[in-house]
Amino acid sequence: MHIAEGFLPPLHAAVWTAVSLPLVIISAHRVNRLMQDQPQIKLLLAASGAFAFVLSALKLPSVTGSCSHATGTGLGAILFGPSVMALLGTIVLLFQALLLAHGGLTTLGANVFSMAIVGPWVAYGILRGTQGLNAPLAMSVFLAAMLGDMATYTVTAGQLALAFPDPASGILGSFIKFMGVFAPTQLPLAVIEGLLTVVIVNLLRQYSQDELRDLQAFPRWLAAEAR
Amino acid sequence: MQAIDHYAWTNRWRDRHPAEKLLPAISLLTLTLILPPLSIGPLVLAGTMLAMVYGAQVPLRTVLSMLAAPAMFLLAGVPFLAMSLDFTHGFSLHFSPDGWRLALDTIVRALAAVSCLSFLTLTTPLVDWVPLLRRVGIPAGIVELILLVYRLIFVFAERALTGRQAQTARLGYSRLDRSVCSLGLLAGNLFQRSLEQARRLEIGLAARGYRGELRVLTPERSLSWMRLTIAMAFVVLIGVMGGLLARGWR
Repeated sequence: MHIAEGFLPPLHAAVWTAVSLPLVIISAHRVNRLMQDQPQIKLLLAASGAFAFVLSALKLPSVTGSCSHATGTGLGAILFGPSVMALLGTIVLLFQALLLAHGGLTTLGANVFSMAIVGPWVAYGILRGTQGLNAPLAMSVFLAAMLGDMATYTVTAGQLALAFPDPASGILGSFIKFMGVFAPTQLPLAVIEGLLTVVIVNLLRQYSQDELRDLQAFPRWLAAEAR
Repeated sequence: MQAIDHYAWTNRWRDRHPAEKLLPAISLLTLTLILPPLSIGPLVLAGTMLAMVYGAQVPLRTVLSMLAAPAMFLLAGVPFLAMSLDFTHGFSLHFSPDGWRLALDTIVRALAAVSCLSFLTLTTPLVDWVPLLRRVGIPAGIVELILLVYRLIFVFAERALTGRQAQTARLGYSRLDRSVCSLGLLAGNLFQRSLEQARRLEIGLAARGYRGELRVLTPERSLSWMRLTIAMAFVVLIGVMGGLLARGWR
């Protein structure tokens, strides 16, 4: 769920931008160097960014009937690794703000932090962790995508709680309130996105061995898995 | 999405220098954030709506649908700003008067900010932002990545729509489990095709001597200082009125 334009007070918007900016710049430097070494990666990244945007614009089948969208955070982290996702996610979020009016320019920093930084890192960490425990690939992909999503929503709830502390019970009370909104709506979504990511990864492993090998520059494990 | 891009390319102010639109929009956005929302918000909303509908001649319906985009988020979040959770006497949830004020402030601020953003996106095609991005110091490679993403979004969106229609026609979305499966297949297929497209583009460009830079002509637009001054005068007027109103509120 993107924090809408102008929803955060100015100070919070500025602080989240300041937090996200260095991480995005580091990621941009890495991607830029990668692209200079291998120009073809630029097209691959562009295609993936556009894909993530279109995926996020497709409506998910939703249980509660509310209109909801996939984030693609988990899939991106699985395919490219989190350090590339910071930049790619920022670009996708920028386009979502400009072409769909989801999110906004002032809240870009906060949204980047939750969706392009924390979500992918959590997803990637869980993937690596469960793979280290020799879990079946489908299981670790499911967990990575689902928990990556949940991490994103938890961070968003935390950002909102910090910005709007409850008059009586403070930040903690406010956090509980926002989690109360998110949990019933976003939990089923996270599960659905987890399942969706498994379907996608299975399909890719079945039919796109060559393309997955192209992605080798990013996650070595997937290529090794897909031998 | 198509509507936004359509009006960005066809509105009456499309050929104006991007700075003439960017500077006022960003200043209004800043004003919206720093001044008390209840006094500045409605003024900004009215100003940008007038600019969009009368100035750039974007149909009112498109503008309103843009403003409604964050409505879902506001509806989910704002009631909880108005409510207060209390632990001191067990566990109670009640409405608080300060909360209502905060909720109202936030709605007005968000709507005004969205209207500034809409003004920007409905009058300026994304391609016009490119020289600006370069000037801010973003490396040429990254700017090009952004342009490529922009182009490919529309290619893939069309494909996704076609694929979805085909799946719907074959009852792919008749049940929840089928929907998840269909959507997964659609997304996976889309990704495969995206990679294929990337590879074809790469071969095509390599055959034309691609060395990691696409050179394109950016149309020269002359900056009209007069128009910019008039626009900024309006912004200052809105700011001053908002400031005065804010003082009256206290």
